Amino acid sequence: MAALHESELRAVYTDTLIELMKANDKIVCIEADLGRATGTFPKVHDAFPDRFIDVGVAEANMIGVGAGLANDGKIPFCASFTPFATRRAYDQVTISVAYSNNNVKIVGTSPGISATMNGGTHMCMQDLAIMRVMPNMEVYSPADAYEVRAIVKYMASVKKPMYMQLIREKCAQIFDENVTFDPKKAKILKEGTDVTIVATGLSTQFAFKALPLLAEKGISADLLHYPSIKPFDAATLVASAKKTKTVVVVDNASVIGGLGGAVCEVLSEQYPVKVKRLGAQDRFGEVGTLDYLAETIGISPAQIVDACVAAKNAK
Amino acid sequence: MKVNPGDGGLMDDKEIRKLEEISREMRYVITDMICKAGSGHIGGALSLVDILTVLYYSVMNVRPQDPKWEDRDRFVLSKGHSGPVLYATLAYKGYFPKEWLATMNKNGTNLPSHVDQLKTPGVDQTAGSLGQGFSCAAGLALSAKISGKKHFVYAIVGDGESQEGQIWETAMFAGHNKLENLIAFTDLNRMQIDGTLEEINNLEPVADKWRAFGWEVFETDGHDFSELSKTIEKAKASKGKPKMIVAHTVKAKGNTCVEGQVGSHNIKIGNDADYKKYIDGVDHEGLKLPY
Repeated sequence: MAALHESELRAVYTDTLIELMKANDKIVCIEADLGRATGTFPKVHDAFPDRFIDVGVAEANMIGVGAGLANDGKIPFCASFTPFATRRAYDQVTISVAYSNNNVKIVGTSPGISATMNGGTHMCMQDLAIMRVMPNMEVYSPADAYEVRAIVKYMASVKKPMYMQLIREKCAQIFDENVTFDPKKAKILKEGTDVTIVATGLSTQFAFKALPLLAEKGISADLLHYPSIKPFDAATLVASAKKTKTVVVVDNASVIGGLGGAVCEVLSEQYPVKVKRLGAQDRFGEVGTLDYLAETIGISPAQIVDACVAAKNAK
Repeated sequence: MKVNPGDGGLMDDKEIRKLEEISREMRYVITDMICKAGSGHIGGALSLVDILTVLYYSVMNVRPQDPKWEDRDRFVLSKGHSGPVLYATLAYKGYFPKEWLATMNKNGTNLPSHVDQLKTPGVDQTAGSLGQGFSCAAGLALSAKISGKKHFVYAIVGDGESQEGQIWETAMFAGHNKLENLIAFTDLNRMQIDGTLEEINNLEPVADKWRAFGWEVFETDGHDFSELSKTIEKAKASKGKPKMIVAHTVKAKGNTCVEGQVGSHNIKIGNDADYKKYIDGVDHEGLKLPY
């Protein structure tokens, strides 16, 4: 059997969902005509035709239907591309899900620059910011296949409105089948003393790739991966900042309000140090390959290294 | 008021008189509640009194002492700003103490202007941002279908609310999925905030629209108990499609001070003179407030 990290992350999402649906008949899979894109169609439909619902191109209705299902004790997973699952149906998510405290799980696929060929209209740089600022909503972003599995399992087991970013493609292995998920705990992927790097989801992949380059440059970095942006593990960040005295945040999103925002909020209150935010500088996305786009918004491994060098030198 | 005992109607005179009395008391209490709160959406509350009276007193299978009873009929007031009419109905059915009615919109209240499932026993789904509750109602209906449950889901949408695109997303979804356990009403009082629907954004032909989306459509006088009762029974018996009952209503029906006026959408009570004006507009002979 192939190792999990050899699968596309959307296949891991689909397979995990099917496994959970077998064990719990309250779990329902909802799509808005992007079942093929998410990977749940036809697999989940074929496994559980009664519990796979495609509402068609109608995201506001998808969220409302999900809320009604949750209201009735079901556990709906509602998926669409990040901009449509969050920004487009934002009031529906806010009122029908979060404000009503209905147990809906929202999955935003192809986060940030990973929307690549779908371009600027599909490239949401805002979802972390807008979902983070919503009361009752938790916000997660797994960095590899193993973490997707752990987070999806967690989502099905805890009764709370939740949002998860889901990269659709294959990703480099960072964890293994023993990975756990606790939204209150960040993960320290590397320990060091020169600089703190903070990342989540896809940006953790880029930061992870920067580690050998940093070593070459003689930079010793703490790499903190945040699988949960809300709740946000302040303690781990503050402890690291106390050690390194300088922080670089990598956002697969706007530098305004996302992970960078969360980091600045905590540090300015608890332990002010200089923070360099890498990410989209208040700009929209565009069509491009992943590497091109990473370069364009300044989160490529090489640019992460440059930022760390600059941060260290400025100390 | 039309009463035709010989035409197969489900209600006899005695039942109709009973419902009329309940509605009369509801209109008085709703007017007073809104006055005590200082302001409120009186028009769209009063236009729904008779529909809610029929539903809660002679149609819906519910247990006021057990608001979350899993086999209950669900009720979603998608036009959430009509909170007052649902609150008055729920209180008199025994879902919560009638004294609460005097606390609507007060600081820390359990009875906010727009219905809230986290604050009020008997409110099945939070609503207030128009167009949304209706989708949730479809979700509730779908959930029952998945679980093989036999209860109904009743929903009320406003005619102004029907200008929201999401209503039609849900209409299409419910029609396509043949959610026959979903029975909705359109409160066709023909008025919104800035004017009549005819002036602002015409909804007609209403019935045709719902039919086109795959719904079984009925029309009824929204203030005639006999007709309402017959129509609801027909709707319940009909299979294979979700049901829309287009209820022809009058905004602020029953309060002569504001009946049929666009301005009745939301009123402000500034002083004792205002209070007297609105209370005098509603028949309350022999009635006592419950608080």
